[in-house]
Amino acid sequence: MPGFRVIVIDDEKIVGQMIKVAMEPEGYQVETFLNAEPAFSRLREEKFDVVITDLKMKGIDGMDVLRTIKTAYPDVKVIMITAFASLDSAVEAMKSKVDGFFAKPVKIKELKECIQKLLSTDESGA
Amino acid sequence: MKQMKIFHKVIAANLANILLIVVTGFLAYHSLDKVLTKLRFMEIADGLSSSFLEMRLAEKNFFLYGEKSALSDIQSKISTAIKTIERSKPDVLRAIGVAKTTRLQSNLENYSRTLEQARIGDTTVQAKVRAAGHNIMEFMNYITSSERAEVNNIIEGSERGLFLSFVLILFTAVGVTLLLSVRVLGSLTRIEKAAHLISEGEFEKIPPEKSSDECGMAVSALLAMARELRNREEQMLEARKLAAIGILIAGVSHEIGNPLNNISMLAQNFVELYDRMDTQEHIEYVKKIEDETERIQRIVKDLLDFARPKNPDFQETDINNVVNKSMRLVQNMISICNLDSLLDLREGLPSVYIDEHQIQGVLINLLTNSIHASSPGDRLRLTTRFNPESDRVEVELEDTGKGISPEILPHIFDPFFTTKGASGTGLGLFVSYGIIKNHKGEMRVRSEAGVGTCFTIELPVHNRLGRSEPCLVSGS
Repeated sequence: MPGFRVIVIDDEKIVGQMIKVAMEPEGYQVETFLNAEPAFSRLREEKFDVVITDLKMKGIDGMDVLRTIKTAYPDVKVIMITAFASLDSAVEAMKSKVDGFFAKPVKIKELKECIQKLLSTDESGA
Repeated sequence: MKQMKIFHKVIAANLANILLIVVTGFLAYHSLDKVLTKLRFMEIADGLSSSFLEMRLAEKNFFLYGEKSALSDIQSKISTAIKTIERSKPDVLRAIGVAKTTRLQSNLENYSRTLEQARIGDTTVQAKVRAAGHNIMEFMNYITSSERAEVNNIIEGSERGLFLSFVLILFTAVGVTLLLSVRVLGSLTRIEKAAHLISEGEFEKIPPEKSSDECGMAVSALLAMARELRNREEQMLEARKLAAIGILIAGVSHEIGNPLNNISMLAQNFVELYDRMDTQEHIEYVKKIEDETERIQRIVKDLLDFARPKNPDFQETDINNVVNKSMRLVQNMISICNLDSLLDLREGLPSVYIDEHQIQGVLINLLTNSIHASSPGDRLRLTTRFNPESDRVEVELEDTGKGISPEILPHIFDPFFTTKGASGTGLGLFVSYGIIKNHKGEMRVRSEAGVGTCFTIELPVHNRLGRSEPCLVSGS
């Protein structure tokens, strides 16, 4: 999947680092952020395909990130990851049209597969 | 005997007062009625008196000038007088009684008879006629003056009676009011005392209510309500504890979930990208894994401290020593961060009964927080003092750091609440607060964003007799 652009928002630095390290060799361009504000300004500047966001964060939390992106950029796929996955939060995310929902610890392979699937269906649908 | 209820007492007192007023009113009415009767008679008597006076004048004319017509004039006046008396007999009888009325009538008849004798030419009766006329006048005068005196008596009597009943009513009313207020106030004081004891949770100290009046009932009701409230409170406390455990577990899952995820991702990439990484990178990955496990270990340790607090070892301690020791431990950090520190330790403080190790932990926790919130040039000030009002020793840590915003302030003692991201467990202040509470102390905070923060710890004085020796003050 060369050329696809991914944003990772997680206040755990290692999460962004690991996703970046795992996905860049496959041609993805990954940018990582520790909170949502700078990620939003990047989104305003350039086009991205996927946003991976943590749910529980200080300031703007993952649910706000999901809603904001789905409103402003309906084409951008949003994947949510959380260390404390409750049924309620999953249902709430589904209602806000989340494209993927992962409980930590995240299997990077599964995450990659999910992204690939999302982008390919998007392409075939387009 | 069953105690009279306040309500019944009020009714009884009011009934007594009403009875008194009715009796007074009746007596006053009676007196007035009597006076009226007398006055009505006086009117009649006045008429009779003037007619008698005219009779005597005519009598004089008869004897002096021999006017025969004067006699018939007198006779007609006598019959008019008798008729007047007959006509107003009920009033007259009521006013002067039967005896006096009969005597008046017989006097008039006697006068009429002697006049008749004089008319037929008996000159010897002149003295008799004069005597009879005189008698009538005298008797009439006697009756009117005695009646007047009686009217005065009645008026004076009712005046006294009215005054007396007024005083009596006033006394009863005031007496009843006083009695009631004393009783009601006494009852209220009892209720207030009971309510106060209930508010302090000291049900046992409430004297058992023997009385069955309103106050007794109110106190019993209060007591029952308080017991019920306590039961409910215990149930609520249980529910809250369960909820707190829930929050704790959720917090633990989240806190441990993050480093666990980091380890997992590091390990996955380590395996996946092993061949593409050099040895340096391999070591870096493993070190990061090691760091993350340490993070988990730290959380578990804090959690264990919280869950199974070691039995505190309470000792009589001089708080200034503990403050000095804690300060020495963070002195290095303070120097590195380029902060000013000031110790203001009051001498001769009463000693406190504390677990020195735990309190030192609390102080270091607070100091570390302050250092983290401060920038080079900021000032830390540690003060100890005795507050005689609360009989407690106070330790105050004030900094000029970035302060805590009002939205965050209410949460700083919550478990797992941290502003330090991954480097904090969010348990420091939570555990510290628990420790101070366990020492029967208090921990307060006031803060203003951009100005600074001030934490105050209050610890109860151990023993008023066991004051510690004045200690040396050392600053930095």
